[in-house]
Parts: sequence; C-alpha cells; structure tokens
Amino acid sequence: MIELKNVSKSYRTDTIETLALQNLNLSVPAGEFLSIMGPSGCGKSTLLNIMGLIDEPSTGSVILADQEITNYNGTQIAKFRNEQLGFIFQSFHLINDLSVVDNVELPLLYRNISGKERRRMALEALAHVTLSNRAGHFPNQLSGGQKQRVAIARAIVGQPNIILADEPTGNLDSRMGDEIMDILLRLNAELGTTIVMVTHDDRMARKTHRLIRLSDGERVS
Amino acid sequence: MIKNYLLLALKVLKRKPLYTFISLFGISFTLMILMLLTSLFDATLGANQPLTNRDRLVLVPSLERTRTETDTITKVDTVFMDNGQVRYDTTETYEDDVVSTSNGPMSYQFVTKNLTNFKAAENYAFYNDNAFIDGYLNGQKFSFAAYYVNANYWEIFDFDFLYGGPLNADDDAQASKVVVLTDKAAKAYFGEASASVIGREMDLGTAVYRVRGIVARPLTDSPLFGGDIYMPITNVDPRELNSDELSGGFSAVLLASSPGQREALQEEINFLAENYDMSGEEYFDALELFNAPFITGYAQGLLGERDAKKAVRMLFIPIGILILLFVALPLLNLVNLNISRVYERKSEIGVRKAFGANSRDILYQFIFENLILTFIGGAIGMAFAVGMIAYINANDLLGITRLSYSYQVFLYFLLVIIIFGFLSGILPAYRMSKTNVAESLR
Repeated sequence: MIELKNVSKSYRTDTIETLALQNLNLSVPAGEFLSIMGPSGCGKSTLLNIMGLIDEPSTGSVILADQEITNYNGTQIAKFRNEQLGFIFQSFHLINDLSVVDNVELPLLYRNISGKERRRMALEALAHVTLSNRAGHFPNQLSGGQKQRVAIARAIVGQPNIILADEPTGNLDSRMGDEIMDILLRLNAELGTTIVMVTHDDRMARKTHRLIRLSDGERVS
Repeated sequence: MIKNYLLLALKVLKRKPLYTFISLFGISFTLMILMLLTSLFDATLGANQPLTNRDRLVLVPSLERTRTETDTITKVDTVFMDNGQVRYDTTETYEDDVVSTSNGPMSYQFVTKNLTNFKAAENYAFYNDNAFIDGYLNGQKFSFAAYYVNANYWEIFDFDFLYGGPLNADDDAQASKVVVLTDKAAKAYFGEASASVIGREMDLGTAVYRVRGIVARPLTDSPLFGGDIYMPITNVDPRELNSDELSGGFSAVLLASSPGQREALQEEINFLAENYDMSGEEYFDALELFNAPFITGYAQGLLGERDAKKAVRMLFIPIGILILLFVALPLLNLVNLNISRVYERKSEIGVRKAFGANSRDILYQFIFENLILTFIGGAIGMAFAVGMIAYINANDLLGITRLSYSYQVFLYFLLVIIIFGFLSGILPAYRMSKTNVAESLR
C-alpha cells in the first residue's frame, strides 16, 4: 500500500544543511497498522508528511496505492490526498468557526458530492466515533478526546485507504488516549484501513501490528 | 460549497469585530464617496433626460470672426568686406498675423439660413439664453432665466413633462405668448406645480403669457437648458431676429442622424465656416464655428480650452488620477489587513489542503470571502450614499445640480464593488493559496 524507496530529505538554510531522513526504505502492506517511534527531531513527522504528500522527498520515490507519486503535479496530488488519504493530527486542527458536522464534511467539499449526500456521509462518520449527538456543537464545546474523535471522523469520512496519524493521543490523558486507540484499531480491523501512526507512547505502539524506530533520520529497527 | 464558504465568511467577520469594523468602514466610506462621484458624474454628463440624445449632439455655441494681415519682417545684416567697405544684406519674410478677433453667439438669420442644411444632421435646435425676465403676481416680483427656443428644441431635448406639453411650430410662426416652466419656477410663481397651472396666465415683462407645460428641473445646470421658463424663439425682439449681422444672441444644437455621423456633421460645419463668403464683413476675413460633441463641449466650456482633445484630457486625466489615489489608499489598507488575516488562518488552510483542496480552491475561497465583505461594506456605503444624496439634494448643496441614483449608477456601483473586492482580495488569497501545508500544520 505504501512503498518508500531510498527516501532522503534534507532542509537547507543559508549556511547549514540538515538531514531529516537518510536513505529510508519502508513497505507497508494494505491493512497494516504500523507505528513509528523515535526521539524528538528524528524525522518521524517528516516521514509521515512525505507519506501524506504534504512534503516532498529530496531524493527517492514514493509509491502509494500502487501509484508512483513522485511526478504528480499539485492538482493531482490534491486529488490523490482527497481520495486516498486521511489525516489525524496531535493538535486536532479543527476549524473552530465550523460546527462538528461541517468540520467532518470538509474533505467532501472538494469532491463532486451533493450537500445532502455530504451531510449523510458526515453523520455516518460521526456515528463511527459515537459522536452523533454532538453534530451541531462547535469544537470549543468539546473535550480533547471528543475533538480527536471529530478529527477521526473527518479523516474517515471520505473512506480513504490510508490514515496517517501524527501523535493522535499525544495531547490526551491515558483514558482518552485508550479510547482513541480503540477507535483506530476498530477502523483498521473492520474497514481494513491501512494506518501509519507516529507516537511517543510505547503502550500505544505495542497495540499495533508492527513498530519501526527512527534515530537521526535513519531506521534503526 | 458556496454555503459553506458563506457561513465561514460570516463567522470570520463576526469573530473579530474591530477588524471587521475597520475593514467595513474603509470599504463603505470609499464606496460611498465613489457612489457620490459616480452620481455627480452621471448627473452632469450622463444621458439622462433631457439629454437622452447626448451621443448624437453637436453643440455650436458661437462663432469667431478674425482678420489676418500679413506682416513683413525686414532683417538687415551688416557685412564688412575685405576692401574696407561695408555691405548691407536685406532679407524680408512674411508672416500671417491675426490682428483682430470677435467671438460670441450667432444671429438668428445666420443660424436659420446656414445651420439647417447639413447632410449628417437630422434636427436642429436654436436658442437664445441671454435674458432674464421679470414676472409679476399680486404685487410680487420674480426674476426668471428665460430661454427663447425653437419648436425643434423640444424634439432634441426630451424634457420630462410633468403636466401639459411643449411649444410647437405654430407658436414659432405666430410668436405665441406661451411658456413652458420648470416645476421649481411654477412653485415659485403659482405656489404649486400641478395640472391646474396649465393654461393660467403669467405677467412676464410687458406681456401676458399662458402656461403650456411644466417640466421637471433637469439634474444639472447646463447652458443648453438652464432656463426657468422657455418661450417661442420668435418672441425675441424683431430687430434682433431680422439682423443681418453674423453675430447675435443665438446658439445652436444639431442632432446627428446617428452617433457615428457626429464627426461627419462636425466636418460639414467646419467646411461651411472655412468656405463662408466673408465679403460682406468690413473688418473680418475668416470665420470659425465652434462645434463639439456634448462631453467635449462641456470640458471646453469648463476649462476654457479651445483644443477639444486637450480639454477632454485636462478634464478626465486629473479626475482619473484622483479617483485612483482615493481608491488606492483603502485598497492597500484592506490588502494589508487581509494579509494579516492570512496568517491567523494558516492552520485552516493547511487542513483544507491536507484533505484535498488545491491552490485554486483556496484562492477562490478567500476571494469569495473578500467579495462578501465588500458586498456588506458596499450595502452600508450605498445606504450612506443614498442618505447623503437625499441630504445634498434637499439642501441644494451643489447649487442647481442634483444627484440621482438611477439604475445606471447602481450598476456602476456594483461593478466598482466587484472590482474593489476582487483587487483587495486577490493578493492575500494568492499568498494563502501558496501556503506550505507541512509548515502550516506544525
């Protein structure tokens, strides 16, 4: 499902060049729940961004859902992200001015779907995360765990094949973190969605199918 | 999608009341002034009644007679020759020099004989606007600007008749004692402008006239129709009507058969002047007939500039620059405010892009939001402008000129709003659309 070949990423400023990822090879089969761990600044988020096509590798190639993405233009990438990828962020990134259901609908705005159908799909996604009763609320009226559940609903509403989660439990207490983890595990088991999760939490990582570790931009296990 | 954008746009506006207030104030104030200017422009130069034929008019307000003499300029050079003698070389050059000019309106005989036979003209109006006439009623005295006009005048200028009708060819033939009044003059003299005034008598000068019609006062003052009362042209002193001089007290307005024929008509007028037989003139040997389309004539009259093109340039370029500067300041301010808004919404843009929005979607969204803001500002500005226009008109703050809010003014205004909204939104929206997703989600 996800194939990274010799991926390197460096950031250049006027004077120094920082290597965030070095010759990284990774293959994630369809339906796998993979977690990535490593110390801060080791390149975990960069790796996730490259998988999510929101950052480009300096060298190497990215193959997602059997498609070689490296040469895609902006519009093609946007379309691919819209149809194949769902994102979950540590700090939720909900739009506070929009209601819960409007937030969940967001990915569908960029598809040719009627308003009625969008609403139906968004409510269905909210049901998946047991938040149907909060559809009309606004993000600021929700707890952290509820916000992350909204973010999950937003990530799955477009029925993507891959979900990329960047420390989804990082801002939550352990009980809420467990709740979120349970939802992700259920999505993976029931819908067969491939999930790649960056985490600092060993306990969460152990619940996934496979764990890889990064250090200084290199894969160490 | 649109509903979602609209919802968000309105929420964003509500979120920061001060920012919204500053933006809206800038927009509504600028748009109000623009609307007042547009309205003034439309009232002064627009094709409103009685100027519906504006684009077909050629004004011939006056003539100029000149006498040219040839000057001989003699130049003597002193040359010292080798043999010690001095030689004087004399050269003579000749230069045409205008030694006297006379200009002013034309005589009745001149205009009726010469300005009625142009191929490119469909109609011709003559008028004499050089008089004030006193009116008397119940021991009260009124002073009216009187225009003596021919019957065709009412065909070329489509006055808005509130009551009664225009003067006609029979009135010209018989020098009938009838008048057309403006509603303002009717109110001043009779105390009312109503149907009952038609047919009533007015003591004007030494004669009694009967009211034939009442017209709405035009939106602006113009030498073409600045009268309080209008009478048949043949009521002018017969000595003046029969004078065989070239100059007199009459001006002409010709109606070209189409706007495209205007230039041809002007050429015919110039041809007539250049070839006019001046042998009957004792002091002058050349004739020029001033002629110009309405807007050019307006610019020439206002600026006292004879060169038509130069006059139009002198009128419109400074106005254009002023408007540009006036619009540029709030526009730049708005662009600046919008850019700062960009940064506040970085994470939203990041999320939208992560979930499939491409740069164009983001661009459209923010231009749309800005247009909403501008439309709200526009609506407020328009409400202010309508209030200001009513206030200005009620108190005659612009003299005789009254501002209007016709559907044309509304359309100009709508266009201005769209351009304003688009221009002030495009740069911030473009910047937003180029936001790097990874960075904005950090």
